[in-house]
Amino acid sequence: MDTDEQTPSARAASPRAARWDAVQPWVSLLARLGLAAVLGFAAYTKLPPALSVQSVEAYQLFSPGAAEFIGYTLPLFEFALALLLVVGLATRYVGAVTALLMIVFIAGIISAWTRGLAIDCGCFGTGGEVASGETQYGLDIARDIGFLALAGIVMVWPRSPFTLDRLFGLYR
Amino acid sequence: MSKASRRAARERLRQERLKEQQRAKRNRILAVIGAAALVVLLVVGVGYFILTADSGPETEQSELYAGLPPQSVQQDGSVVVAEEGTEAPVVEVYVDYQCPACQQFEEESGAVLQEMAGDGEAIVHYRPVSIFAPRGEPVGSNSLRAGAAARAAADHGKFVEYNDVLFENQPAENEVGYEAGDLKEWGAQVGIEDPAFAERIDRESEIAGRFSDYYQQLTSAAQEEMSEERLRTMTLPELVEWGSEQGIDDSFLEGSYAEEVLDATNEAYARYDGENAFEATPSIYLNDEILGNEAFSAQRLREAVEGAGPGEVTTEPLASGEETEPEKAPSVGESPGTEE
Repeated sequence: MDTDEQTPSARAASPRAARWDAVQPWVSLLARLGLAAVLGFAAYTKLPPALSVQSVEAYQLFSPGAAEFIGYTLPLFEFALALLLVVGLATRYVGAVTALLMIVFIAGIISAWTRGLAIDCGCFGTGGEVASGETQYGLDIARDIGFLALAGIVMVWPRSPFTLDRLFGLYR
Repeated sequence: MSKASRRAARERLRQERLKEQQRAKRNRILAVIGAAALVVLLVVGVGYFILTADSGPETEQSELYAGLPPQSVQQDGSVVVAEEGTEAPVVEVYVDYQCPACQQFEEESGAVLQEMAGDGEAIVHYRPVSIFAPRGEPVGSNSLRAGAAARAAADHGKFVEYNDVLFENQPAENEVGYEAGDLKEWGAQVGIEDPAFAERIDRESEIAGRFSDYYQQLTSAAQEEMSEERLRTMTLPELVEWGSEQGIDDSFLEGSYAEEVLDATNEAYARYDGENAFEATPSIYLNDEILGNEAFSAQRLREAVEGAGPGEVTTEPLASGEETEPEKAPSVGESPGTEE
């Protein structure tokens, strides 16, 4: 939990650790910005909200009212997370929430898959019914696992350049 | 003070300073999390407000109906809503009444289409299809029954109104809906009083029911007789023709509106290719080019139409004599009952 708080010099016992200390902030920066781009793009393609509502309904998990609420707020939530990742505010916790979101998405896709629904995951816009031969749940899950890994990097190593957190003296 | 106790005091001081530092750090983390939560609330709140404000026209639904131009039934059973001689972009609307995305489209953009049709800003060409028909009971027959019923309503000049009622009452995907009794009642609700409508609904409902059995028989026969590969690449008309060669009788469809809807579906599949391919419903075409997500936003759909030039309607209106059940003699190019 506290690894990021130690000063690099205190940890740089071995050359390998020293190298990781030098590289890690840039790895985290890439993960942060990559994840922000993914979330921002996902939010953008879900609009207008009628589409997003439809994508949520296609999972057949929620009442119409709940589906509508999720359809409207999910793209906005994704956008907010993207924004926070770009500016680097509460980086570790935003990373954790994003990871959680990905796990929820993966669970949703698995649930649709096991129930034999033929839908597009609606991850990036255009959700809803598709021909039964055109589902690509495996690919969608693999992709979300990739995003989950990015979120994991941000969560475990929140220290990176250009963050608002630094102004608060966090993850320097 | 002994050396030992001095050391202990120093140690205590050090511990306290450490604790103080930890407390300060915890407070900083809490502050940062609080700020982030605030940002999320602000973005979601303000965004929700903006998104919900982007809705269709403010006009009352009854006014929209009153402002509609004539609804003329075409030879293929589709319906063109425009004054004769209107020069405007053509918006073609392919929907399946059982498709949830079509309901979303209708909810979001149905009214703006009616408004633009009423103002002569667009020629709206409604083309109901049934992509779900081959799915069997209940989804398939729901879809086919509703499509045929909408076609019947068009005979009475009430297609647009009936179209709306159908979507308002769309059944869930795993339950029976659009039943004959309801379909007839909704007809009365939109002002169709002619008993011919009710008779038509009964007949079409029976045919839609038979289609499900027929299609099942057809596919199981086909599965036995031909390779999966070939079966997959066959269109429905090809399969039907193959079936009739094998003695699987499809004559019950003849002359029905259910058949018209099925034909319209197959024509939609055959009509477009490449980027414009008809693959799912709803598919909205503006001057023969398929629209993307913008179709699902009233405002963006309007902007797209306003940015387009005049288009051509590719179908011909049903001549008066060809009406299956003429209510009264209509003038060419107009369906009966629109003067109401």
